[in-house]
Amino acid sequence: MTTATETETATAASKPAGKPIAAGAGGRARRLLGAAFAALVGLFLLAPVLVTIASSLTTTSYVTFPPKGLTLHWYAELLNRPEFLDSFLLSIGVAAGAAVVSTALGLAAGLAIHRYPFPGKSVLDRLFSSAFAVPTIVLGIGLLQWYAQLGMASSPLTLLLAHLVLTVPYTVRLVLAGLAGLDRSAELAAAGLGAKAPQVFWHVTLPAVRGPLIAGAFFALITSFDDLTIALFVVTTDMQTLPVRIFNYLQYNYDPTVTAVGTVMVLFAAVAVVIIERVVGVAHLFGADPEH
Amino acid sequence: MAATARVADGTALSPDGSAPTPGVPKPVRKRGPWRTGLLLASPAIAVLALLFIAPLFMLVYNSFRTQAGDPTLHNYTRFLGDSFYRDVLWHTLWIGALTTLGCLVVGYPFAVYLRGRSPRARNYLSLVLLSPLLISMVTRAYGWLVLLGPKGPIADGFHALGLDAPKMLYNDTAVVVGMVHVMLAYMVLPLMGSLDRIDPALAPAAKGLGASGWTCFWRITVPLSLPGMLAGSLIVFSLTVSSFVTPAILGGPTVKLMPYFVYTEATSNLNWPYAAAIGFVLIVVTTILTAVYARLLRGRGGKEVFA
Amino acid sequence: MTAGTDTVGKETVPAGSDTATRAGSTRGRLVLKGIHKALGGKEVVRGIDLTMEPGEFLTLLGPSGCGKSTTLNMVAGHLLPDSGVVEVDGRDITRLPANRRAMGMVFQSYALFPHMTVAENIAFGLRMRKVGAARRRRRAAEALELVGLDGMGERYPRQLSGGQRQRTALARALIVEPDLLLLDEPFSNLDAQLRVRLREEVAALQRRVGTTTILVTHDQDEALAVSDRIAVMAEGAIHQLDVPETVYLRPATDFVAQFVGEVNVLDGVAAGAAAEGHRCWIGDTHLVTATPVGTAPGDGEAVRLYVRPEAVRVLAIPEAVSGKGRSASTSAHTAAEPGLPGTVEATRFLGTRVRCVVATAAGRIEATLPFGSEVPGLGEEVICAWQPQHASLTARP
Repeated sequence: MTTATETETATAASKPAGKPIAAGAGGRARRLLGAAFAALVGLFLLAPVLVTIASSLTTTSYVTFPPKGLTLHWYAELLNRPEFLDSFLLSIGVAAGAAVVSTALGLAAGLAIHRYPFPGKSVLDRLFSSAFAVPTIVLGIGLLQWYAQLGMASSPLTLLLAHLVLTVPYTVRLVLAGLAGLDRSAELAAAGLGAKAPQVFWHVTLPAVRGPLIAGAFFALITSFDDLTIALFVVTTDMQTLPVRIFNYLQYNYDPTVTAVGTVMVLFAAVAVVIIERVVGVAHLFGADPEH
Repeated sequence: MAATARVADGTALSPDGSAPTPGVPKPVRKRGPWRTGLLLASPAIAVLALLFIAPLFMLVYNSFRTQAGDPTLHNYTRFLGDSFYRDVLWHTLWIGALTTLGCLVVGYPFAVYLRGRSPRARNYLSLVLLSPLLISMVTRAYGWLVLLGPKGPIADGFHALGLDAPKMLYNDTAVVVGMVHVMLAYMVLPLMGSLDRIDPALAPAAKGLGASGWTCFWRITVPLSLPGMLAGSLIVFSLTVSSFVTPAILGGPTVKLMPYFVYTEATSNLNWPYAAAIGFVLIVVTTILTAVYARLLRGRGGKEVFA
Repeated sequence: MTAGTDTVGKETVPAGSDTATRAGSTRGRLVLKGIHKALGGKEVVRGIDLTMEPGEFLTLLGPSGCGKSTTLNMVAGHLLPDSGVVEVDGRDITRLPANRRAMGMVFQSYALFPHMTVAENIAFGLRMRKVGAARRRRRAAEALELVGLDGMGERYPRQLSGGQRQRTALARALIVEPDLLLLDEPFSNLDAQLRVRLREEVAALQRRVGTTTILVTHDQDEALAVSDRIAVMAEGAIHQLDVPETVYLRPATDFVAQFVGEVNVLDGVAAGAAAEGHRCWIGDTHLVTATPVGTAPGDGEAVRLYVRPEAVRVLAIPEAVSGKGRSASTSAHTAAEPGLPGTVEATRFLGTRVRCVVATAAGRIEATLPFGSEVPGLGEEVICAWQPQHASLTARP
């Protein structure tokens, strides 16, 4: 009897307190569910890269995951294939060129759009945003026919020029965002403090777009380096960029050499991403506590 | 004739103070007001004109020519008159629709999840989200070849459970999985943008009026994030139907979409006018479809959401 | 109590006596002659003439779009006038670019360089003048001390409060020892309390360093509190340029009267000069006096009077007649002093003051009675009176 009463009192007492606990448990369950879902999506997003990296280390002569044993044999194998090295050098050269040129063009065009009136400015602005939307395959075939019309033979230069269409809109956009964050009166203040026009640009304007410029340059670098669709139309069999080389290799081969090349490309992209992240971070932290 | 003019305190009176205008007029340069701008923009204008607009005009022009260069409509009548190519077009649009749907189903909860995270966590998750766009599409597609292959880890999983693994490679499934993987960021980023714009006081306000969590989600969060959904869907759809590499690698010989024919006509058959026509049909159909979609969604979402 | 909102208690100072050259200031005499400027096809400055003495603190006061910022930017060299001349210490600098003028400007947004530390920001002007690093550091430290930011030199602008940023901007402007200090709405981004404190600090600092200063603001309290003289601007022109007391108590135009505070407006007919001020008929039977702005009107001319509520005294009639005894006013009153009779219609307690509304034959007159005065009862017959120098008389527009 006493036990029953005790249980009753215990239940009665726990009831009001029970509710928030239940809600807390529900909240925790929901948070866990959310985290599990996010982890799944993350796995989905990263899986292909992780698999590529892992299977490049396999000792088997065919691609398999998980890899059987661990070896760097396939990376050594790469050195015996000069065509991959040539392609890598071509790709990196074109990418570096595209990065430098599109950064310069992006800075100039961004400045022009941001602060000078000129005829056709709004058209230019709109073209920069629509250049993202045109399918690269259509652009590729268009460039193929246009270059033929102009009688321009395939060369690293034609490829670089083609890549500018992909990269310049991004650098312009980044520069514009940087300039939008610049207080125009800071430039007037600098002039008022005795700075000549080039000094104003160097000390005030350029620092405001430095982050966007570096991020834009590295974005252009990997966009050009990774591009396949445009390159497929613009290159010849003698001049193949690394993605084109892999794409063609894949048609006939299925060995871990490709995963080794892929891993090299991923590492290359990762370096660029870290730099972009750093720079954008620096831009975000402009004026923030250095101790943080 | 006396009147009392009542003027409030200076602060309230002047609209000047309430709207802190930058107030600094741009210095007007007397000579050539637009010369500097044009000079600075000219290299970029040249790039766009010579490498973007001119090739596209070239393409449209060539699509109305025979291979010998005579004017013709044959390229279009050939495409539209052939049920094989019409099926290719439908198949392409179908893959585009499935990918868009897939991105919405995966991306919406992900965007909602990101919304509640700390800026730091958001930053890292965004990096993961963007990673497929930052690595070579060849590497990416190759990874899926391994994952979805008959001896891949997913098939192994089925076998471990004593089941027959379904065919996962060289079919629509493989293409859609590969495309959702790349396109997810294009869906999630605009969604995050419109979710961020929702006044955080709305949900507590609705709950205070008696709405449950779900009602709140369906009646407030979803309608207010329609602009993001719209923008995301449009980008994902248009980019998917014009993708070449991922479908070519993961679709194998059975899944042949519009971009594949653009490529083969241009490079293998060397029929440039026909390749141009297929490319142009793709652009036109995509433009029409996205316009219709935008209008439909706009009608449902109500004007105020898009105002 | 902040200065300016309630100036009745103060003695009005005749123009000029407070604008005397500050001790030590011999530099920074600014002259503007016939300045015109159109922006975007609209004429925003239409003929500004202005002379400032070395060390003077002048405020351009006016609503948004009145041309005050444009005028300041022409002084700074950020804008070129369409016509007119800008002179500093007798030198024509109209066409001199901003970087070759010696102007220290503080912007509304402060315009600090976000990627430089506070010390680097402050020393920027010296760096442009090729001053050596060691000297720059020392001078920056001095400037930081001057504005009360000692030890903050290594911080970045983002780490500062609004007030600290404002002080940094001020130090940056002053370090180059400019001919003129130009302040473009420098307090408008601060909260109300800080605004009052900082404007007092800036005014005190200006008096200490003696730099000729122009402040642009839309805030009448601010203008009244800190300026030697105020130029009230509207639609690109100066409506009145005078010491704060005069601008407040004897506005020259409708615009000035209404922009600078609350005002009673009375229309009447001029009736000749009196011992003090000028007489004028309100209606047919009541004679009042006020001080003419500019040339005195001829007899019978239509005139307009402006009287601030603070300047109006409400007097009980018996006392008004006898000139003794119970009075609603704190100051003495003589029967000879003219006024407007009326009935008290409403009284409102405003904390530090009492607002009293009197219905007269000429309409409602509002009066602000100082704290502690005896408040007349509702319906009581009273007379509204004021000292002639507390009301302005202008030609009726």
